Amino acid sequence: MARSRESEMNGAPPHILVVDDGITMRMFYRSVLEAAGFMVEEATNGMEGYEKVLAQPFDLMIVDINMPKMDGYSMIRTIRNDPAVRMIPAVVVSTEAAAKDSARALEAGANFYLVKPVAPEDLTEVVRMIVGVAA
Amino acid sequence: MVLVKAGGQRTLVLAEPSRDPAVLLADLSAAEPSVRRAAARDLAPHPEAAMALCDRLEVEASPSVRAVLLTSLIHLQSPTVAMRLASLLRSDDVPLRNAAIEALQEMPDAVAPHLRDLLADEDSDVRIFAVNILGALRHGQAPQWLTDVVRSDPHINVCAAAVDGLAEIGGPETLIDLEALRRRYEGNPFMEFAIDAAMRRIRGH
Repeated sequence: MARSRESEMNGAPPHILVVDDGITMRMFYRSVLEAAGFMVEEATNGMEGYEKVLAQPFDLMIVDINMPKMDGYSMIRTIRNDPAVRMIPAVVVSTEAAAKDSARALEAGANFYLVKPVAPEDLTEVVRMIVGVAA
Repeated sequence: MVLVKAGGQRTLVLAEPSRDPAVLLADLSAAEPSVRRAAARDLAPHPEAAMALCDRLEVEASPSVRAVLLTSLIHLQSPTVAMRLASLLRSDDVPLRNAAIEALQEMPDAVAPHLRDLLADEDSDVRIFAVNILGALRHGQAPQWLTDVVRSDPHINVCAAAVDGLAEIGGPETLIDLEALRRRYEGNPFMEFAIDAAMRRIRGH
């Protein structure tokens, strides 16, 4: 999948939106992704994530499933149904490791499914692959 | 209309006559969401309706009716209501499951008798949800229960959830258990990161 839009055009690092209600998880993703050269924005639930997606461009979203206000499945479905933002790739990261859970995430419109806890190298590899950035 | 005696004088006020609980229970299954919503709201003062509200919650598709059902169930909270809500932690309906978690966080005394069982559930996801309830539960035992999870739960994600909870509500007495957990997961970048962050927060820096 090729890297998208503005960040590629203006030479800025790819812009990643991390959506998770756990502050430690968000801090961990930020630490790993910023060290790998990405720019990170955070949201604490699906509703806030959707609002941020509408307000600014992102190259990728990393989305938790179990969140208050709007869960990850609902957030991705909402974005996939919005023509203005529907193309943003989504990686779902969940504690739920059963095959039905990953199938459900992909059905909702996720591009990739990772199981917590995610190793830093796995996270950066998947993000690089999706946004089309060489290591 | 009813007459209300206030401040030594009779004041005439208009009031909605209370509706027959039997009618309200029937209205919980009405086709129109607004009727179900009104019934769910008006059954809040009726403890005998709690199980009917729980039954409706399990099948209710309208988010706004679900919200009112949960508000009424929080009002009617009891160990039995908490047990019914706890059963929703196994639901594949994520918004319903999350709503149940939020409601259970609002009824600490009612959910407390069930927490031991939930924390011992064979499904690690149910244990994670139980830990998530504990992290926001205003109950004096909550830090101790989270510490017990850190000491004994074999699943990394359950422990990670407990670490997050202890970062919120744990005191200095939990540091020794967090240090032991860090040794248990030495070499795991996320666990080291999460435990270090929790210990910094508990220490106040």
